[in-house]
Amino acid sequence: MTVPFLKIDGIRKEYGPVVAVEDVNLTIERGELVTFLGPSGSGKSTTLYILAGFEKPTLGDIRLNGQTLLSTPSHQRNIGMVFQRYTLFPHLSVGDNIAFPLKVRRKSKADVTERVREMLKLVRLEGYEDRKPAMMSGGQQQRVALARALAYDPPILLMDEPLSALDKKLRDELQHEIRRIHHETDVTILYVTHDQEEALRLSDRIAVFSKGRIDQVGTGPELYADPATRFVAEFVGDSDFLSCRVTHSQGGRANVVLGGDFAVEGVPLHDERGTPGEGALLLRPERIDLSRSEPTGWRGLPVRVDDVTFLGSNVHVIAQTGWGETVSVRLPFGHEHISGLSRGDEAWLRFDPNEAHVFV
Amino acid sequence: MLLDFDRLGWWRWALGGFTAAVAAFLLLPIVFIAALSFGSSQWLIFPPPSWTTRWYSELFADQRWLDAALNSLKIGLVVTVLSVVIGLAASFALVRGRFRGRETLKALFLTPMILPVVVLAVALYAFFLRLGINGTMTGFVIAHLLVALPFSILALTTALEGFDKSIEDAAILCGASPFEAKMRVTLPGISAGLFSAAIFSFLTSWDEVVLAIFMASPTLQTLPVRIWSTLRQDLTPVVASVSTLLVLVTIVLMLLVALIRKGLSKP
Repeated sequence: MTVPFLKIDGIRKEYGPVVAVEDVNLTIERGELVTFLGPSGSGKSTTLYILAGFEKPTLGDIRLNGQTLLSTPSHQRNIGMVFQRYTLFPHLSVGDNIAFPLKVRRKSKADVTERVREMLKLVRLEGYEDRKPAMMSGGQQQRVALARALAYDPPILLMDEPLSALDKKLRDELQHEIRRIHHETDVTILYVTHDQEEALRLSDRIAVFSKGRIDQVGTGPELYADPATRFVAEFVGDSDFLSCRVTHSQGGRANVVLGGDFAVEGVPLHDERGTPGEGALLLRPERIDLSRSEPTGWRGLPVRVDDVTFLGSNVHVIAQTGWGETVSVRLPFGHEHISGLSRGDEAWLRFDPNEAHVFV
Repeated sequence: MLLDFDRLGWWRWALGGFTAAVAAFLLLPIVFIAALSFGSSQWLIFPPPSWTTRWYSELFADQRWLDAALNSLKIGLVVTVLSVVIGLAASFALVRGRFRGRETLKALFLTPMILPVVVLAVALYAFFLRLGINGTMTGFVIAHLLVALPFSILALTTALEGFDKSIEDAAILCGASPFEAKMRVTLPGISAGLFSAAIFSFLTSWDEVVLAIFMASPTLQTLPVRIWSTLRQDLTPVVASVSTLLVLVTIVLMLLVALIRKGLSKP
């Protein structure tokens, strides 16, 4: 068996009585871009700070190429990091900021000059060498921070919500840049974010954090198509949840009843050890079909339309079931049943039980 | 806006007049002193009958004044260095430390600011007598350090609170040891605070008279003590010229603080 590049092994972090991180395990391949996705307080940043060495885990180990990292102090770990806040050294010019880690490593003057030039080119800020950080925009500052963190060729780059202070347009632009730089440098990136869209856009794999644990690790499509927990289903992509009763379960599938009499059979089942018998049925808004007339040949879930919103390429329909739960449905523009659909209309919904999920 | 200056009408003139009156009240005594120091009258008559630089020549010819100024300078500089170094260490603990009683400790550090100086002076006098350091440089420095430290700690805690610790963390991940990161990144980052702390510490010691009177001996006097004792013996315009020079030093230092702040806040 080969030794994994980076292994996070059973990390636990307690702050007094509070458990911030609980049994986090993750294996990361060289050159991967893995995001830690989760809401604030889910333990994703704490895990990153343990990797950086600013926090010590209560239990567990982190191994890089089989060697534990925990006994190495932060400044000798040779890890790069871009922070959420702007952390350029305010008294140094852009060039001197990028040169800082190289000077600390006592590189020769020629090497430093050459490397600074290379890094500025990588982040597309040639000619900004003599600027002071305060004269640059937030996006430019984070680019310089990225250049500084990569200047010494670290095997791992940590990024702690580096774009959260930027506006949407800049964020999109820098996400693109980060992907490009990741391809060009082959550095392994661990990226913390609470923004699912950002995670989906950037990552090779996503680790979804909830309440100090990793709920699921996988590629974006994997998480979307087959969420392991209700939390993952809610956090990645849009979702509809309908409460249901489980009447029968076997071999990872369940038969459920919605609203007293609407039976759905053979839905993939995820056991979260909730109240037995009671569950939530997950549907994806774009995987639901809508019909204006009582369908023949299949049994539709009758609903009343509450709202119809035109969103360009698709149309968003909010409907209410007979027992008062709300379902949102996204239909492609031009769908046969959309024209003239308005508030108060009756409609019937259809979905494939294989694409639904039940969480109990 | 409710109180728009442009819409105040004749109130503007009233406000302007009031401001001018306050400024005059604060500044005129200084102007008088400066004028008197160049006046020819032995009795500090205003307006002076004619102008002279005689008092300045007398001042610079008198070894006792020069000694006193030198003592003030020496004590001031030692106090400045110690106050900044100790204040910096204390500020790191107060801002970055996470321990019980931190707020209380901070308040304790600032008490010399509100404690009547004369109380402190009497207490130190009794204490120093026992240690046998009354009338020594050491006694002076310790006494002045006590009143200078709160200013230093105030300036440095404010500066450190305004300095994002992530910047220091970034330097550490770049490969700098925690000490190196502080020296090369954090201290330059709070340089405005360091300058303020240094200048206020110096001025506190340089101007201080109450503690100094208690600490002074016939052989070791500071400038304010010398002024005080001279005033008690005879009222000579030399005192006015010393005062003018003291004011000048203070103005220069305050301007320096303003310039440095402005220079450092600008990129």
